[in-house]
Amino acid sequence: MLSPIPSNQPFPSSFVFKKKEPLQSPTMTTTTSYLHSVHHADTPSVASSPALSLSSSVTAYSEDAILNEDDENNSLAYPRTPPTSEQVFTTVHAEFGHCTNEAYRCISKHDYTRPVPEHIIEGPPYYILLATYMSYVVLYFFGYTRDFFGVIFTSHFTHLLPHNGYAPLKSRFDSFYSRRLRLRIHDCVSQPVAGVPGRSIIVLDRRFIDNDHTLIHTGGKTRSLNISSYNYLGFAQARGGCADAVEESIRRYGISTCGTRLEGGSSELHVTTESLIARFLGMEDALISSMGFATNSTFIPALVRKGSLVISDELNHNSIRLGVRHSGAEVRMFMHNDMSSLESLLREVISQGQPKTHRPWKTILLIVEGLYSMEGTLVNLPRIVELKQKYKFYLYVDEAHSIGALGPHGRGVTDYFNIHPRSIDLLMGTFTKSFGAAGGYIAGSKTIIDALRLRGHSGPYAEAMAPPVLAQIVASMASIMGVAPTSQQINSTPSISQDNSSIMLKESAVGFPATAPANMLPTWMNLPPAFADGSEARMRISRLAFNSRYLHAGLKKLGFITYGHPFSPIVPLLLFNPGKMCTFVRLMRAWSPPIVVVIASYPATSSMTSRARFCTSAAHTKEDIDTVLRACDEVGGIMDLKHGSGERWGIDEVCERAVELVHSHFS
Amino acid sequence: MENSASAALEPLLSFLTFSLSTLESGFYKLPGSAVVARYVKSSHQNDPGRTILELILIIFAIRTLLQSRTRADRSGKHFIKFSEKEIDELVDEWTPEPLVQPLTEWEQKDLSSVPVIAGPNGPKPKLFSTGKTVTNLASFNFAGLAGNEQVKDRAVDTLRKYGLGSCGPPGFYGTIDVHIDFERDIAEFLGTEAAILYSQGFSTISSVIPAFCKRGDIIVADRSVNFAIQKGIQISRSTVRWYDHNDLKSLEDTLISVEKERKKRKGPLTRRFIITEGIFERDGEMVDLPKLIELKLKYKYRIILDESISFGTMGRTGRGLTELYNVPASQIDMLVGSVANGLCSAGGFCAGSAIVVDHQRINGTSFVFSASMPALLATSGSEAITYLRNNPSVLLTLQDNIRAVRAVLEKTEGITLLGHRASPIIHFCLRTQQQSLSVTPATYDYEAEERILQDIVDDAIANGVLITRAKHLRGQEMIESRPTIRIAVTAALTKKEVEKAAGVVKTSVTRILSKRR
Repeated sequence: MLSPIPSNQPFPSSFVFKKKEPLQSPTMTTTTSYLHSVHHADTPSVASSPALSLSSSVTAYSEDAILNEDDENNSLAYPRTPPTSEQVFTTVHAEFGHCTNEAYRCISKHDYTRPVPEHIIEGPPYYILLATYMSYVVLYFFGYTRDFFGVIFTSHFTHLLPHNGYAPLKSRFDSFYSRRLRLRIHDCVSQPVAGVPGRSIIVLDRRFIDNDHTLIHTGGKTRSLNISSYNYLGFAQARGGCADAVEESIRRYGISTCGTRLEGGSSELHVTTESLIARFLGMEDALISSMGFATNSTFIPALVRKGSLVISDELNHNSIRLGVRHSGAEVRMFMHNDMSSLESLLREVISQGQPKTHRPWKTILLIVEGLYSMEGTLVNLPRIVELKQKYKFYLYVDEAHSIGALGPHGRGVTDYFNIHPRSIDLLMGTFTKSFGAAGGYIAGSKTIIDALRLRGHSGPYAEAMAPPVLAQIVASMASIMGVAPTSQQINSTPSISQDNSSIMLKESAVGFPATAPANMLPTWMNLPPAFADGSEARMRISRLAFNSRYLHAGLKKLGFITYGHPFSPIVPLLLFNPGKMCTFVRLMRAWSPPIVVVIASYPATSSMTSRARFCTSAAHTKEDIDTVLRACDEVGGIMDLKHGSGERWGIDEVCERAVELVHSHFS
Repeated sequence: MENSASAALEPLLSFLTFSLSTLESGFYKLPGSAVVARYVKSSHQNDPGRTILELILIIFAIRTLLQSRTRADRSGKHFIKFSEKEIDELVDEWTPEPLVQPLTEWEQKDLSSVPVIAGPNGPKPKLFSTGKTVTNLASFNFAGLAGNEQVKDRAVDTLRKYGLGSCGPPGFYGTIDVHIDFERDIAEFLGTEAAILYSQGFSTISSVIPAFCKRGDIIVADRSVNFAIQKGIQISRSTVRWYDHNDLKSLEDTLISVEKERKKRKGPLTRRFIITEGIFERDGEMVDLPKLIELKLKYKYRIILDESISFGTMGRTGRGLTELYNVPASQIDMLVGSVANGLCSAGGFCAGSAIVVDHQRINGTSFVFSASMPALLATSGSEAITYLRNNPSVLLTLQDNIRAVRAVLEKTEGITLLGHRASPIIHFCLRTQQQSLSVTPATYDYEAEERILQDIVDDAIANGVLITRAKHLRGQEMIESRPTIRIAVTAALTKKEVEKAAGVVKTSVTRILSKRR
């Protein structure tokens, strides 16, 4: 056992540090006390108001969302300072935190006076590196030794040995990683949850039995601070405008459109959603696919063919690699986000042509991600667009993580860098993250998108996107765009491919970023006013930018090694040592309130750079980020994680000077 | 002359000796260095050749370490050296082709003829183009679950508790308790140990296959399997042997020849899989499951069975072929089904033993790397299973309707009905001399047939019955199959309605074909 901490649940928090008392001053254990404190807060200012704020605040919904759980973690369920009657919140605090302080906002935008930051990889001290290597050596040594004797003396290996004329389903060698390494941190990954993956999330408690081999559910549930879900704009909500729209769509359309897009599964909702997406992105046309992963893996094969070359970033997502493998095109990789490596590769492949024959490539397609999900690095788009002018390759940007999360208008990397989206051939993205839905899109010119509709694998073979998912996308996207009443006629072309001369974004006519004309939304969809005028989404985007910058800067000032762009909502915190992964998760879970974190190691990252990964959300309040920083500060101290360079601040100073920290990073 | 040269070299030599001695003393100061030195000395003494070998090894190791991670062919024999100027010229000269070939005139027509439905889909949807209500024989609504109020209520309840999206892959807090419940429901329904849920039906089997089949493994597969299986097999890099479509005699021959080959080569025991479909998506044929299992057990293969069409439609309560043939589902090693087709929700699953399922939780790429399914789609699936369990009569209605449609179409001139008579999808193609589905080389004009079939489809839609051609990716499929029209029968219509609709299709066929003659 590598970890010094016993893995049995519940984790005895007093083992390492004392469990913190919740910080709020009046301990609110019941709703009555909460109501009372609201009343108390209200009385001096608006004594004559008989209707308490709760009547207009959706916090009141909490009766089913929150109260039937244990009330142990009220700091997550209710704000520390109860709202006054002037403050009307339309969200459940546990899903989407209440934050009125306008100082805790920031605009995500590239500053062209300074160069695009390089991907700097800060290394740990040598002794950490050595310890990491040693950890693996010890793991492998004991693992193999136990395997060697286990095969002879025990019966645990029967399913890994040929039996009864069948070869084993998995070989001993192939399964070594999962048996000997992954099993040790089994309680720290794939934790099942319940409820909305919003600001907080309910995790189902598990316990090891059977000599730490099997995990069982204890039946207990713990509400925890969620800094792990891809809920960037906080649209994962069971209440509010989006959820209402989804409910209405279920009532009207049912659950499924019963078929593939090309074989009787196309609904008018698909068609209007696609044109809305095209308009949102500022592209000519767009298509949607019912699964984000499949968007890459089933449409890339229709883009490249034999005689084409795909140039791919070495850290591109598995779905992109799979799509390229399906296509049968040649593929070359360049070093992660390294523009000089890309350029020298481009010069080489164009001058050399196809292998052996030296014929010129038919097409070269560069596939990059907007925001890399494990590193938090942002693509150097300005440089790539420059290179594209010179080397004439086609550009495919996977905005799975960046769409919605970056840019002053939430339009992704193009918006962040203020580059016109049409200078990119294909924009791909997913709805799982910022939009709180599922599935993905590809946007580009009409010619390309029509060809993809017909020649991509998804069109004839994969089920169409479900109506409730479409409703969530339309509602959240329209709220980001803001709805503008227009006199344009809604297109009535019967085809699934838009011949939409009326809707198509004309660069001269419609400015970018465009608003959503009211007639592009389904008539039954009634968005709340804050959604329709775009103010809600603007608040979300700027809160996300603040939270991301604050967490990045805060962790840096506390002395941690982190990767990624300061505006990236993905914040990896480097742990290096594989044994520290589970300890980190267990300690964060033992914090009050419990914090759930994601850990990643091989195969998602290199095995030497095991990391914890935070995903900030607009749903987090500044206090939530404070909580995470405080927990990291203490846990990091215990676990010897603070090896970063640069000036260090104390945790209190970081929390107090948060606003300054966020904005000073600009200089 | 010699003297002066050595005099000139004198300082250099002395410097070399000096640095060598400092290096040596420095080396000996290192802890443990004496041991290393002693080892090198003695080994060199015993075997000078070995020192050279070790030296080469070290140099090789350093070279490998220094090599760039991205593969460069610079040293390859096909590499041509260019000067920077030449490269610039080549770059200027190069003009790429368009990224995609623009759609042909036929493809344009194909795309614009895809029906779009206004409002909910179901047995009688309204078309977006004309606003007319049509009878639906195109969409997969076999058990009539589309628009089921019970399912809708459950979905709304789930929405209000879980929101819509799961916001993460299963490994990163994306496994919701409703997923676990739904997986258990599927496993209990089928009678397997466990099941795993994927978020898209199409991506399920193309991820299941490469999770188990690796390089060197043997796959014996039906020649006419669906596209998703083909893609899975392609990614797996296993050795593939094909047997004739739905011909278990041919399968047995293939199994025997594989075994012979192995004995001849004296190769190690590798994993062996039979991959086929329950009801073939391409033509509606049904596999003889008991015979298949007999062969599998005899030759010790594992079966990956795709029940995308048969799950939710066949058997008394929709458990699929295992129920129809009364075979325990545990006999099928990996039973893959579609929640989207059979249960009118979304996604797919793979059921099997706990080992099979757990293996996929780490190795199934589209499980691991994809966001998990929205909670309300999972609970809708659970509700659909409850519905099937409680209403076995729906599938009887379905079978009645299938018989009714087939009865009408069998009497239609000019077309050939394909597939098994109980299959809920009914394909028919134009009748020619050649009647088998997979013909190589093609003896028919693919595009001309497609056009005729499309005319039939358009005519039927104009007359109030929605049907569709079976769409394929021409040129990307392994084998080109005959163009067909595919009818999906539903239990949501009465026998009268179905008969009437089939009658409309029959009239359309006759009308279009007589126009052609």
